Amino acid sequence: MRLLTGTIALLTILAAPTAARAQSNADIQAGKTLFSGLCVTCHGFDGTGGNGPPLDRPKLLLAPTEAALRNIIAEGIPDRGMPRVRRVTDNEMRQLVAYVRSLGRTARPPVNGNAQKGREHYARLGCAGCHIINGQGGSLGPSLTEIGRLRGADYLRQAVIDPGAALPRGTLPIPARGYSEYLPVRVVMKDGAEIRGVRLNEDLFTIQLRDTTGKIHSIRKSNAELVRKETGASLMPSFKERLAPAELNDLVAYLASLGGVQ
Amino acid sequence: MTSYVGAAFRRPMVAIAAIIALGGTGLLAQQVPYQRLLKAESEPQNWLTYAGSYKSHRYTALNQINRQNVSQLKIAWAYQMQRAGVVETSPIVVDGIMYLTEPPSTVTALDVRSGRPIWSYTPFIPQDVIVIGSPPVNRGVAILDDSIYFGTVNGHLISLDAKSGIVRWDTTVEDNKHGYYLTLAPLALDGKIIVGVSGAETGIRGFVDAYDAKTGKLVWRTYTIPAPGEPGSDTWGKGDGWKSGGGSTWLTGSFDPELNLLYWATGNPAPDWNTENRPGDNLYTDSVIALDPSTGKMKWHFQFTPEDVHDWDANETLVLFDAQIGGRARKVIAQANRNGFYYVLDRATGEFLTGVPYAKQTWAEGLDPKGKPIRKKGIAPSNEGTLVFPNIQGASNWFSPSYSPQTNLFYQAAREMGTVYYKGEAVYKPGTAFTGGGGRAVNGDDASGAIRALDATTGKMKWEFPLLSPGFTSLLSTAGGLVFAGSQEGNFFALDAESGKPLWDIQLGGNVLGIPMSFAVDGKQYVAIAAGFTLFVFST
Repeated sequence: MRLLTGTIALLTILAAPTAARAQSNADIQAGKTLFSGLCVTCHGFDGTGGNGPPLDRPKLLLAPTEAALRNIIAEGIPDRGMPRVRRVTDNEMRQLVAYVRSLGRTARPPVNGNAQKGREHYARLGCAGCHIINGQGGSLGPSLTEIGRLRGADYLRQAVIDPGAALPRGTLPIPARGYSEYLPVRVVMKDGAEIRGVRLNEDLFTIQLRDTTGKIHSIRKSNAELVRKETGASLMPSFKERLAPAELNDLVAYLASLGGVQ
Repeated sequence: MTSYVGAAFRRPMVAIAAIIALGGTGLLAQQVPYQRLLKAESEPQNWLTYAGSYKSHRYTALNQINRQNVSQLKIAWAYQMQRAGVVETSPIVVDGIMYLTEPPSTVTALDVRSGRPIWSYTPFIPQDVIVIGSPPVNRGVAILDDSIYFGTVNGHLISLDAKSGIVRWDTTVEDNKHGYYLTLAPLALDGKIIVGVSGAETGIRGFVDAYDAKTGKLVWRTYTIPAPGEPGSDTWGKGDGWKSGGGSTWLTGSFDPELNLLYWATGNPAPDWNTENRPGDNLYTDSVIALDPSTGKMKWHFQFTPEDVHDWDANETLVLFDAQIGGRARKVIAQANRNGFYYVLDRATGEFLTGVPYAKQTWAEGLDPKGKPIRKKGIAPSNEGTLVFPNIQGASNWFSPSYSPQTNLFYQAAREMGTVYYKGEAVYKPGTAFTGGGGRAVNGDDASGAIRALDATTGKMKWEFPLLSPGFTSLLSTAGGLVFAGSQEGNFFALDAESGKPLWDIQLGGNVLGIPMSFAVDGKQYVAIAAGFTLFVFST
């Protein structure tokens, strides 16, 4: 009897929402179209992440509920570079939320690699010279403590082999939304002195750099002969030649594991 | 008792002294009759209207601060806004008092010698106020006789006593529940206060209103969208699209007292990015309309962007000047439009004279001989997104240009930025967003801007000064040979009006969204600009 009740309950669950699910599938498809237009640049196709966090996980830390997700889409996360999406109708918002929620129900593609071995590569290559994980390391490059939560595996792989092509954009309040962070800039002063560092900030008349020794330079542009922004470059070297394919997978797996990824 | 009698005796003497001090004009301080507004340029120590005069030049004839001494400019005083918010205001100054608006709808009177407040008035703004399409800002006040006039984000027009800030009248322009709101500085004419409305992103039907300055009663209303059967109604298709067709009127117009024509510019059709419900040119959206100020009757119109699908409101400031064109003296009206083209029209007739791009644009091959854009294919918003320049906020926007009669140059900050435009669904529901899509800006290091000096008659660029980012930069040109400007990164600076060379700059620590103006008191010239949440006033 107990078994029967359970079976009925199971049948009910399977049968009853068919109509609702059909509706919901249409919503998910419509939401995918909206997502491909509005969100894909940062969150990646199918929400696998990129410049912005992957969304293909069962639980989104900042949007654990549907209401929270709706609120984040509407209001954005200004200090992390996510713009607000105001100009969607209630129906479009429902579709977008339905699609994003559906991403967590599909299986995530596994990150091929051994995170423990990746951790050893991380130590061997001296990554900690420029990156902080859990409070330990240098600060010339971005913190990696939560990088697995904030970036997709494809992005992390590219950042290791071609870091200049993968500079984060507009995730920090300074310089500002949409700007490349850690952008290398070469400055030649009128007296011949040369400075190369990452851009911390910039306005019309001044630029602030940090060089590889950690020194911060405040430069008045009118005192410089040359201010060259090295778009597409990075102060971080490429590790393409220093990692075998399997080792690269291990390192990406380690990075993807950082930040309590579920 | 004795002292009372004494005071009564003394008072006429004080009044007479004041009249003498004012040059025998017979006016009490702060009284600004229409005659003074007509001749605003003849008293450059004051800044009597939003854009400095009815011609909207945003130019000062003061030259005490000039190319030679601008490098010594320093802060005289600063005033902190009472609450945080977006500050896009242009103060006015009348006989030693500055009238400033603060976000969202506060008016404050300041002593310009010290920066100390004299009074401040904040109307009640309901928590559920509907402001869709812009931040809740206020761009300034108008003065006429002894009253201050300003609009509110909940759709009211309010008259205050200029000396005390006490309310004289408070009129509802239109119902905020349907998305109507006011951000512009009203324009004061002879006995009338002219205002327009914001709200096209909620599908309002735009209009220009004239109110009796003394009573607040509506004198006339001219809709920017014709009802069925009215001229232009055939540009809206057969449906009800016109009822929610937008065409807001959210920036202060200009006025030619000799031609007796009031010029007002109009905004985008609604929904912004989806034309399904509004097939046609959608008159009189994205246009300039010339109105008889006595009746509101439309004398002519010119439409910049027919059947707009990019949200390129044409509300930008309309600048009036006289020019020799083809050997003929013409009274012209010029605008650097949000769509990327600079236009010059005959302001008596609306005849198109010149139109040239002043910023990157990828949507039109050019303009035909009548000034109508020759549209490229494949520029409409789409489901997958369509990259087009200028971006949604346009090559220009609400921020003020400046025209210098000294250089005959039209100064404009141009925004070099694209948007990936999306088409979405559009369902009209009063007081909610009715836009039919949206956009993703191409921002950061991929966007920029420039201050450009255009030959006002031909639109040909004489010089440019590059901006790091496409901000919302308003300009002031001066008889001292300067152009003042700000940047999104917090710089405020002066350029040589002839060459564009930077002569002075200061970092103000906040986005410079204020609109610069100049005034003088006690024989000393000042320049004022709001940045972040603070108004800064400079002198040498």
